[in-house]
Amino acid sequence: MKEVLVIGAGIAGIQASLDMADAGFTVHLVEKEATVGGHMAQTDKVFPTLDCSSCILTPKMVSVGQHPNIRLYTLSEVGKIEGEAGNFTIEVIRHPRYVDESKCTGCGACAEACVMKGRIKNAFDMGIGKRGAVYIPFPQAVPLKYTIDPETCLTLSRGKCKKGPPCKLACAAEAINFEDTEKTVTLRVGAIVIATGYDPFDPKLKPEYGYGKYPEVLTALEVERLCSASGPTLGEIIVNGKKPTKVFFIHCVGSRDHTVDNLYCSRVCCMFTAKQAHLVKDKVPDAKVTVTYIDIRAFGKGYEEFYNRVQSEGIIYRRGVISEVFKKGDKLFVRGEDTLLGETYEEVADMVVLAAGLVQRKEGLEIIRKLGVQTGEDRFFTGPSPLDPVETGLPGIFLAGCCVGPKDIPDTVVQASGAASRAMSVLAAATSGGNG
Amino acid sequence: MRIGVYVCHCGTNIAATVDVAAVRDYAKTLPDVVHARDYQYMCSDPGQEMVREDIIEYHLDRVVIAACSPRMHEGTFRKVMEKGGINAYFFEEANIREQCSWVHSDREVATGKAKELVAAAVSRVHLQEALQEKEASVIPAALVIGGGIAGMTAAKDLAESGFRVTLVERKPALGGHVAKWTTTFPHMMEAQEFLTPLREKVTAHPLIDVMTHADLVDLQGFVGNYEARVRINPVFVDGDACTRCGKCVEACPVNLPDEETWFLTQRKAVVLPPPPLYPDTAVIDAEHCRHFTEDACHACADACPEQAIRFDNAVAEKTVTAGAVIVATGYELFDPVRKPELNYDKIPTVITGPQLERLLDKNGPTNGELVLDGRRPEKITFIHCVGSRDETVGNLYCSRVCCMFTAKQARVVRERYPDTRIRVCYMDMRTFCRGCEEFYNDVQHMGIYYTRGMVSEVFLRNGHPVVRFEDTFLGEVMEEETDWVVLAVGMEPPEGSDEIQNLLKLSRSADGFFLEAHPKLRPVDTDTDGIFLAGCCQGPRDIADTVSSAHAAASRAAIPLFAGKVAIDPIVAEVDTEVCAGCALCEEVCVYGALKLDERLKKMTVNEAVCKGCGACSATCPSSAIKLKNFKNNQLLAQIDALCVKGGGA
Repeated sequence: MKEVLVIGAGIAGIQASLDMADAGFTVHLVEKEATVGGHMAQTDKVFPTLDCSSCILTPKMVSVGQHPNIRLYTLSEVGKIEGEAGNFTIEVIRHPRYVDESKCTGCGACAEACVMKGRIKNAFDMGIGKRGAVYIPFPQAVPLKYTIDPETCLTLSRGKCKKGPPCKLACAAEAINFEDTEKTVTLRVGAIVIATGYDPFDPKLKPEYGYGKYPEVLTALEVERLCSASGPTLGEIIVNGKKPTKVFFIHCVGSRDHTVDNLYCSRVCCMFTAKQAHLVKDKVPDAKVTVTYIDIRAFGKGYEEFYNRVQSEGIIYRRGVISEVFKKGDKLFVRGEDTLLGETYEEVADMVVLAAGLVQRKEGLEIIRKLGVQTGEDRFFTGPSPLDPVETGLPGIFLAGCCVGPKDIPDTVVQASGAASRAMSVLAAATSGGNG
Repeated sequence: MRIGVYVCHCGTNIAATVDVAAVRDYAKTLPDVVHARDYQYMCSDPGQEMVREDIIEYHLDRVVIAACSPRMHEGTFRKVMEKGGINAYFFEEANIREQCSWVHSDREVATGKAKELVAAAVSRVHLQEALQEKEASVIPAALVIGGGIAGMTAAKDLAESGFRVTLVERKPALGGHVAKWTTTFPHMMEAQEFLTPLREKVTAHPLIDVMTHADLVDLQGFVGNYEARVRINPVFVDGDACTRCGKCVEACPVNLPDEETWFLTQRKAVVLPPPPLYPDTAVIDAEHCRHFTEDACHACADACPEQAIRFDNAVAEKTVTAGAVIVATGYELFDPVRKPELNYDKIPTVITGPQLERLLDKNGPTNGELVLDGRRPEKITFIHCVGSRDETVGNLYCSRVCCMFTAKQARVVRERYPDTRIRVCYMDMRTFCRGCEEFYNDVQHMGIYYTRGMVSEVFLRNGHPVVRFEDTFLGEVMEEETDWVVLAVGMEPPEGSDEIQNLLKLSRSADGFFLEAHPKLRPVDTDTDGIFLAGCCQGPRDIADTVSSAHAAASRAAIPLFAGKVAIDPIVAEVDTEVCAGCALCEEVCVYGALKLDERLKKMTVNEAVCKGCGACSATCPSSAIKLKNFKNNQLLAQIDALCVKGGGA
């Protein structure tokens, strides 16, 4: 058996797939979104090197799309898993794309023609950017094939769009197919790598920060999209219609916090905040940028050095996170305690960034739990030994990336290769055992 | 000739500083350029596809892409050339990001420079030659250097994938640092519970050949085909005859500080390393044994009932072949003597965290009793970040584990001796590993005082150590008398890193640890193909992260072993035998050992698989007889001429 299943095509699933495919195994990579790339594709630059995330990720995405040993199933879910290590039977449910992947050239004529164009919040841009009912999440999507969102497409939701659907008329390749249906594919694989990633913490669970109420209060992922050159503002920091002058970052939103039942540290927020503080200061040099924190956890290679650099750029670090964001008149204020000075303060702010932590995915994990993969008190997956995080304890099934707990990109890539190593041992044993 | 030129925006990385449309229009005016375009991300799927289609549609036979550093995407774009049907080396990348947009702010100047760089690349691409990649076969075996948990985990993975593994460990026993820890954090699992099964799997696996008390002395070859020489240092005891009865140890007159207890106790010059040992025998430490150092003492030989002592044991050397090499040489603990203000070497009750670990171990020198010089401490002060995050000792980095091992030790002491008063002085609590924040929360509720602020000095007053520290919450400097001070010492690159670096031609990062090929794309690879990093030799980390990285190194090493073949870069040196006089000056400058003199013909020869294409030979050759393919004088001069003479027309 030389075939393997990877669930999730973020950076963890991508790396695990590439390692195994390069070694000569056939990889079935299943992704629920329309494109590979996961959360890393949404980030602008990465700490501590300030490389642009696209520059690092895009080639790996392209490799996944083009690799002769990788079968990519986007808009797909795993429906059923049966069997045992060396011989699993998998059912993959392929949701309809309503665009024929073999015909679509990615030209974008359909999206131009769509009557809903620019009217639907694009989830990839955290809702800041707008798209139509037929769309690609971002220009570097892999595969570069358009998708019709059945909930907002007038033809699919109401049965009628103008006199004939403009997208269909616009498509020279005749790729639009409103009759597309759900299909099921059955696979046989020797091993499984689970790389389902994370959800960002929903800051509405911390109502004292006013997220969703005040437009000046943003999450870190929203700021990534604002910083991104290919994002909805083309890289300009525009908040509530103007450039901010007084910016506050709040650490540990949804992390280290028993009030939301997340006791754990999310491992990445200290550093992505340092990076974002640097980027905002770089793009809006006159802005006063303040970071409020509990402990600075700059523990990776070159991280402490980056934190020192950011401090030297005139960014103010105040110990003690802001406790409340509120409006007085037409002005937005933050209230906090500086625990080093031992005093409370209230200051005007026109941009507040919440370093929202990482939580286990809320949806789509039932099939994995049904397999018997355990979860910890933090709700992330876990194996029998906390000292060997890639193991599930179930033969032939391995874990990689943030579904085993929050971690940064280097640690995720490392763990993904690690899961690949364990899976390849199982595949090699199954092959030499005559099951191949 | 029909040249295509492509100018990348790289989002705004380039386009914000360089007028990409102007560069594109300028490129169209250059000789033989028949087509020029700009695009948001050239490296993306549509960007690549655009070039491939254009090669066919416009019959391009040369391509220039003005984008980022060739280090990033040269390989990506060469593949596009092939897909378009032209030779992968009829391509030149002009670096208008790292060498232009990222280092300039004036748009006009940057645009001018980008034009010059493009003109230079176009000029050079005219002269590029078609090269073909070659393939080499792969020895399906691996060499792992270091027998701690990283090396053992990597070796076990590769053996379980069916590959022969040689595991080389410098010490007489496998296990590394973890063997000296008692409990692991945050689940309070005994270290031995984790270590013992791993060690048993490694020593029992038929495909793993363990060589302890051994050093790597030479490594030659290239990915897929390495040949190593391993020196097995003699233990001076016949392993078959030795029964580990310990009579030799009793007889030995030498006493010296014992590394096993971090120097809390003494040992002899002949020792019985803790089992399981491989091979299972007493070991004579020749560096300190008086038979070798002074007077040909033979007390141990006289005492041995089995006549197992062999002073005439000689060094053995073995040759090992492997397709891939994993470096897992670990770390060394920071020596707190380098922080004289802490008086570690002057006050006996100032100890390190690892020393406390030995005192807490039921199998340790005090059988787990918290006692030094017969006295039990009533008060203990822990100090974080000793040797980490500290400019004064040259270590800017965080050691990642000290916050947690300190929290764990504070908890163990408090549980066993509930009356002990404990204070922990810290800068930032970095309890980020899984389950660790929760652990820290629990520890704080056990009546342990956490004080934010660093310690400036430890000194003796009335026979007790006094700790002077700042409480940054109160904004006050305090002095507190205590009984024991425990220093949370950080990690440093181990002794012997220089030798390994030279043998394997590795790079080091500013922190002194081995440097990965790319922090995100290739975090366990090195710049030398086929050599990978596992565990703390790349930087400090805890056990879980070490195990992950060891699995990862095994995966990366397994790729060529499974694939059975590797591609060889064709940009290598070539010798013009008509001109070469056989002076062999180039052989001296080649750090890779790729050049050899053919003694009969008196001409140099190139081992293309070993050559890395660095060009040192071609710069050295007095008669220009040795050249680097596609970096020949005419090709480089064409590029330079375009920059100097034409000024790029900007």
